[in-house]
Amino acid sequence: MGLEKKVRKVLERYSGYNLSCEIRDGVVFLYGRVRSYEEWVEIGLEVGRIKGVEGVVNKIVWDGYPAEKVREREERRRRIFEENKGRVVGSYDVVVIGGGVTGTAIARELSRYQLRIALLEKAPDVATGATKANNGMIHAGVEPPRSTLKRKLNVKGCRMYERWARELNFKYKRVGSLWLITPRTLEKYRRFLPGPLYTLVLKYVLPYIVVLKGIINGVRGLRVVRGRKIFEMEPYAARDALAAVYVPWTAIVDPYEVAVALAENAAANGVEIFTSTEVVGFLKEGDTIKGVVTNRGVFLCRYVVNAAGVYADEIAEMAGSPEYTIHPRKGVLVLFHRSTGSYVRHCLAEIILPPPPRTKGGGINPTPHGNVMWGPTAVEVPDKEDVSVDPEEVQLVLAKYSTILSEFPRDRVIRYFAGVRAATFTEDFVIRPAKWVRNLLHVAGIQSPGLASAPAIAEYAVQKLREMGLELREKPSFNPFREPIPSLRDMEPEQAEELIRRDSRWGHVVCECELVTEAEIVEAIRRGARTVDAVKRRTRAGMGECQGGRCLIKVAMILSRELGVPLPAVLKEEAPLFDGYVRGEAW
Amino acid sequence: MIEVGKDVVVVGGGPSGLAAAVRLAELGYSAAVVESGDELGGILIQCIHDGFGTKLFGKALSGPEFASSFIERLGELGVEAWTRTHVVRVRLEGGSWVLTAVSPRGVLRFKSRAVVYATGCRERTPFEIRVGGTRPAGVYTAGLVQRLVNLYGVLPGRRVLIVGGGDVGMIVARHLHLEGVEELLVVFPEPWFAGLPRNVQQCILDFGIPFRPRTIVKEIVGKERVEGAVLVRVDEKWQPIKGTEEFYPCDAVVFSVGLVPNASQLEELGAEIDPRTRGPVVNEYFETSLRGVFAVGNLLTPFDYVDDAVETAFIAAEGVSKHLSGEARRDKPIPLRPGPNVRLLVPHRVEWASGRDVTLFLRPSVERENPRISVRSSGGELYHTRRRYARPSLMERVELPRGLVESSPEGVVVDVE
Repeated sequence: MGLEKKVRKVLERYSGYNLSCEIRDGVVFLYGRVRSYEEWVEIGLEVGRIKGVEGVVNKIVWDGYPAEKVREREERRRRIFEENKGRVVGSYDVVVIGGGVTGTAIARELSRYQLRIALLEKAPDVATGATKANNGMIHAGVEPPRSTLKRKLNVKGCRMYERWARELNFKYKRVGSLWLITPRTLEKYRRFLPGPLYTLVLKYVLPYIVVLKGIINGVRGLRVVRGRKIFEMEPYAARDALAAVYVPWTAIVDPYEVAVALAENAAANGVEIFTSTEVVGFLKEGDTIKGVVTNRGVFLCRYVVNAAGVYADEIAEMAGSPEYTIHPRKGVLVLFHRSTGSYVRHCLAEIILPPPPRTKGGGINPTPHGNVMWGPTAVEVPDKEDVSVDPEEVQLVLAKYSTILSEFPRDRVIRYFAGVRAATFTEDFVIRPAKWVRNLLHVAGIQSPGLASAPAIAEYAVQKLREMGLELREKPSFNPFREPIPSLRDMEPEQAEELIRRDSRWGHVVCECELVTEAEIVEAIRRGARTVDAVKRRTRAGMGECQGGRCLIKVAMILSRELGVPLPAVLKEEAPLFDGYVRGEAW
Repeated sequence: MIEVGKDVVVVGGGPSGLAAAVRLAELGYSAAVVESGDELGGILIQCIHDGFGTKLFGKALSGPEFASSFIERLGELGVEAWTRTHVVRVRLEGGSWVLTAVSPRGVLRFKSRAVVYATGCRERTPFEIRVGGTRPAGVYTAGLVQRLVNLYGVLPGRRVLIVGGGDVGMIVARHLHLEGVEELLVVFPEPWFAGLPRNVQQCILDFGIPFRPRTIVKEIVGKERVEGAVLVRVDEKWQPIKGTEEFYPCDAVVFSVGLVPNASQLEELGAEIDPRTRGPVVNEYFETSLRGVFAVGNLLTPFDYVDDAVETAFIAAEGVSKHLSGEARRDKPIPLRPGPNVRLLVPHRVEWASGRDVTLFLRPSVERENPRISVRSSGGELYHTRRRYARPSLMERVELPRGLVESSPEGVVVDVE
C-alpha cells in the first residue's frame, strides 16, 4: 500500500470533515478544518505514526485557530525583514539559529574547527526556552523505541556527559534512577492476573522485561532490586514497592547551567553569540540560503543550522523547507525547598502501565543543589509560548507522585513553572539536511530526552554538515575547558578569606537564601548576563525560599551599576523588571 | 580570619536584635551585633510611615526614627555592630558557640557563650498560596515594593493590584496612591481587612482606595510583563466560586499574603520548630531548644507592633543573663499549649526554676466579642482576663503570674472563650 493511500485511510476516519493531503518526498501536508485542537493533534499524530512518513506539516485549522495573531506575526516579520535585509552584519561559515542546549552544543562542537560561526538567539540570554524549564535529568536511554534516532543519540549522549561535565565544569551528579514497581503498576490489567499471579508478575516478570528493554536499547547494567534492598537504597520509597529496577547511568544537571557553559566555551573558542537577535527571514538564491535576516541585519552564511526549538517549524517554513509542524507539549514542574533533599537519593519513578496521559514520563528528581523536583506533566497546548501553570495541575502533580514518596514534606513547595516541549508529529528527533534547501540542516523535534542526548546530537549534527559539504579542519587552539563562577556556597572559610582579600565583594552576601555574593553577580555580568533572570541562572541569586523577595532589588541595582542603565531599565527576562521613577525622581 | 570574642552575639540588626543588644549591654555584658544588610534598623528603614513606638514610647514614630533611638543607644553603650556581615556557619565548640561569618572585611569567627537570633521574617510568595498563570515581570511582594518606592524612588507599575488586606498591603497601597500610581485595587479573601482598624481608616478609607473583599487572584496573565490577573470570588471557606472569574487589567501585582519567620539557619542547627508559627520552639525567656541560643522578635512569629517584638528581646536579654550566670532550670519544663480557639502561642514552655512572670503572645483563630482569655490546667481554670474583642488579626499579650504555671507542672492550656 502506498504512503498516500495509508494517509487517506487515516483521514477517512474523520469523515465529518473535508480533509485533504499532499505528499512530497515523504513529507505529508494536511489541509482542512476540524472542530477542536485535540483533533488537530490526534490527526497529526496518527499520520506521523505511519511507516515511511518523514514529516507531517499540519495545515489543518481548528475552530478558534488564532488566524489574526498568525497574520500579525507574519506582518511583523515582513516589516523587520524589509528594514534589515540591506544591512550586513558579517559573513559566516555556519549560522546556528537557537541558543538552547542544542544550539549551544552544536556551536561549541563546531568551534573545534577553523570556521566562522554565529549563534543567533531571539531572547536576551541563552537557555530561555525548554532548556530552562525541564527537570535536568540525563536519561540512560531505556525508554525510547529501539528504531528511533532519539534512542541512538540518548544512549550515546548519556555516556558523553561525564566528559562534558569535566571539560565544561558544570554540576553533574550520576545519581542513578530507581523505577518502582508497586501494586498500582499494572492496575489496569489486574483482571487478567487473578490472585497471587498479579504479585508474582510484578515481582518476578515485569522487572526483567524492563531490564530486557534496556538491553535491547543498548543500555546495560540495569539491576532488579527487591525487598529491604529497595529501602536501603531509597529509605522513603513507597512502602508497598514490590520490586524496583535500578538504572545506574541516570544523572542530574542544571540544564541552564549546561547551556550557559556551552555558550561560554563556544564564545571562548571564537563563536560569535548574538542575543536579542530574531530571525525574520532568509535571503536565497534558488535553493540556497545566502543570508539570514534578523532585526540586527543580515548574517551572510554558507550553512544554516535550525535549532530553534518550538519555533523550528516557522524557521523551516521561512527558509523554504517546511517538513514538520511543532505541536507544543507543556510540562509543569514543582520545585521544593533545599531542606527536602535528604528525602530523595535517586531519580525516582513509579512504573504505571499504560502510562497515564497527563503525567507520563514524570517522576521525582533530586537536583544538583539539593532541591527536589516533581513532574513534569504532559499537556498539548495550541500556544508554543504558553508557560502558564494551572494551580490544579500543581495539585495533580502533588497528588500523583506522593504515592512514590509518602512521607515527603509536600508543603515545602517554593516554586512551580512550565516548559514547552518542541514535539513533532513523528515524535522523533529530526536531524537531517533540508529536503528543499541545499544548505540548511534541521535539528528539530528535540523533546525529551533532548538534554541527555545533546552531546551526541551535536556530534551527529556536525557529521551531517560535513556530509553536506562543510570542510572541517581542526583548530589547534581549541580549548575544551571552561571554568565555572566560583561560589561562596561551596567554599571553605580559608578559600573565602583568600578571595575576599583580593576582592572585598566576595564578602558581600547579596542573596541570603542561596548564599550568593556580589562578586559572583558581577562575574556573571562580565560573562554576558544582561538580565536579572540571566544572573539568577548563573549564580542562583533568587532561587531560594523567598524567591528573590529580599535580593531582587540588590541584584537589579548591581545590574544597573555594571551595565550603566537606570534601575527602571533593568530587564527581568525580556521586559523591564520595574516601571519608572516616582514624581520628580531622575537617574 | 578576624576573631571576635564576646559574652553574647546577636544575629540580626533589626529592632529586636538592637533591643536585645542594648539591654544586654545595659546589664553589663559584652555583645556584638551581626547584620547582613548595609545598615542597622532592619525592616524599619523602609517603613517611613508612622505608628511605631506607641506602646513603648507613647508616641507614633516613623520606622527610621524608632530604629535610630536604639542605634544611638547602641553607640553610647559602645556595642560593636558588624554590618554587611553574614553568618554562614554555626557550631558548638567546647561549650561556646562559634559563628563563622563573611564580610567585605574578611572572614570572621565570633565566639560567645550565648547567641540571640533576631533574623526577622520573610514574605510569603505567590507560590505559597498557589497562584497560577505565568511568571512575568511585574509580580512582587509588598515589602519589596515598599523598599523600591521608599528607598529607590521607583514604581512597580502604573496600574497595580494588591493582594492581601493585612497591614503591609494597606500601607503599601497608600504609598503607591501618594506616589502617583494611576489605578489601584486591593483584594483579599476575608469579609473585611485583616489588618489593624487604624490602618483601614488611614490607608484605605481616607484615600478612597478601591477594594474587594472575598476575592483572590487565581492567575497572573502576561508573557513578558504582567497584563492583568484573573480574579475570582470565594466563599466563607475561601473556596473559589465557579463562574465568578473576572479578568482585571493591570501591569503589576503586589502580594502581601503573610510573613514567615526566617528560621532556616536555626532549623539547620537542629532547633525544634513549631509547625504553627514556623519559628523556633522557645521557653519563657525565649530560649530555643538549643541551650544558650535565644530567638526574639518576628523570628518567633510576626508581631503586629514592633513594641511587642522589642519586648521579647528585653525578656530574652534577662534570659541570657540567667544562662550566663548558670541559674537553675526545672527538671521538667511545663508545656504551654494553645487551645482550640488559639492559632498560635509563644512561648511554648516554662523551663526556668524561678524568674519573672510569663509574658504570652497569642493569636486567636476566631472572632469574639467580649471574650475571656483563659488559662486552664487539668484541675480547672487558673486565670482569666477579659478583652473587648478578639480577632485573628490582633495579637494578644497576656501576663501570666508565674506561680500559677508552677502549680500545674503537667502543663496549661491557653484559650479564647
